[in-house]
Amino acid sequence: MKSRYLWLVAGMLSISQVQANELESLFKGLLKKKLAPPAQEQPVNPAQPAAAAEKPADQLLKALMGGNVSLEEEVRIGQQIAGNLLGAAPLVRDDGLQRYVNRVGRWVSLQTERPDLAWHFGVIESDDLNAFAAPGGYIFLTKGLYRKLNNEAELAGVLGHEIGHVLRKHHLKLLQKSQGIAALGGILGRKLKNENEVLQNLIGNGAEVVARGLDKDAEYEADRIGVVLSARAGYDAYALPAVLAEIGHVAKTDKSVSLLFKTHPHPEERLGQLSEAVGEKLDALPEGQSGAGRFYRLR
Amino acid sequence: MKLYFSGLLFACLLAAPVWAATGTMIKDDEMRTNASANSAAVGRVAKGASVDVLTRKGGWTQIRHAGATGWVRILSVRSSAESGGNVLGGIVQMGAERRDPSRVVAVAGLRGLNEEELRGARFNANELARLDQFSSSRVDAEQFARGAGLRSRDVAYINAARREQESRPSGNSSGIGFGDGNL
Repeated sequence: MKSRYLWLVAGMLSISQVQANELESLFKGLLKKKLAPPAQEQPVNPAQPAAAAEKPADQLLKALMGGNVSLEEEVRIGQQIAGNLLGAAPLVRDDGLQRYVNRVGRWVSLQTERPDLAWHFGVIESDDLNAFAAPGGYIFLTKGLYRKLNNEAELAGVLGHEIGHVLRKHHLKLLQKSQGIAALGGILGRKLKNENEVLQNLIGNGAEVVARGLDKDAEYEADRIGVVLSARAGYDAYALPAVLAEIGHVAKTDKSVSLLFKTHPHPEERLGQLSEAVGEKLDALPEGQSGAGRFYRLR
Repeated sequence: MKLYFSGLLFACLLAAPVWAATGTMIKDDEMRTNASANSAAVGRVAKGASVDVLTRKGGWTQIRHAGATGWVRILSVRSSAESGGNVLGGIVQMGAERRDPSRVVAVAGLRGLNEEELRGARFNANELARLDQFSSSRVDAEQFARGAGLRSRDVAYINAARREQESRPSGNSSGIGFGDGNL
């Protein structure tokens, strides 16, 4: 069972790599056609595809191709994904809840190497159990998942996991690897006029990018970061594992976890990986807070 | 209704020590006399062993296995699906949550979030603006934490157990110094 799953993942990875390579050569082909005037043979410089009229869009493309997206660009990409996600599932109409989640999340984010990012946290209207991260510090969890939580430490753990994805730029890398290059081919073909169009092309359809699974190691890494950030913030470090154990008890056939289980390794596997990685490393850590008394209960 | 609810909860509390949750060892671990790595070992429990989970203290959980009782690291045990309560998260809260009448209401108007809906999603500028409105500043978050008695602690990032070279986080393997002196 386990090895079958691994093969499946390996297969998916190799397919996307092949696609990416194909698209990259397609893109380079298009670039050559576009840049080299038929009359004279000039050396092609792929680093400068810029036509003066398309400046911001071209800058974004260049940054993505080169793998060095500026902070501003990262936030713009995140904003677009967040806005799309909110189009599918709006914020829960409970200002107190939203404010509370932002305070807890912001406090956890202050324990990271990106404390000054404009972090945003939101609880969205969905009975699914899931949480999402977009580049630039946009973090969401569903109302369904929030309901499953028992205390503030568990909330911090879940947010910490998502913060981990932002810190390690997992989604940005995913976009750069596959969809980004696909988008570039399309962009040059269609001559998109503005940055918004470029962005949407890059992201794909709507908020579909958040439903695309990251590789397993990225999820395990985010779990480890979630535990560490909770601990740094003064919370019970074992609250995230508790949430994982709880989610692991939901039947695999339950609709509320179908997307989560499709895009993440099963909680049992995640707990196993976490257990192996943590080992004795947190033995000396003093007990953290659960924050159960402060936990904001949904109305 | 509420009385009945409290009664149930009380019954759960009383029952807890007798009716222990069951769990499975997810790795080998030493069973110890106390919730500390420095306390004496009383035996080893192997991965896959079925154990009774009794209680929790910090990063440790008390288990009973093959007639012996002792403490192992909390991450060495996974509570079983049919345990009736999640010891890691706290039996009492879970018991209460399961009987929360609001959950029944929620089921009636179930709203999922599947790939199709995500793919078809249209940018919502108003919601994005609302999101912005709730964001918390550094000062605000620090004040919140201070009020709650939360203090920053130095804890280093943890690498993957195996294949460390591949998935080592770039450049940030040490967390020492982060968040220090925020309060």
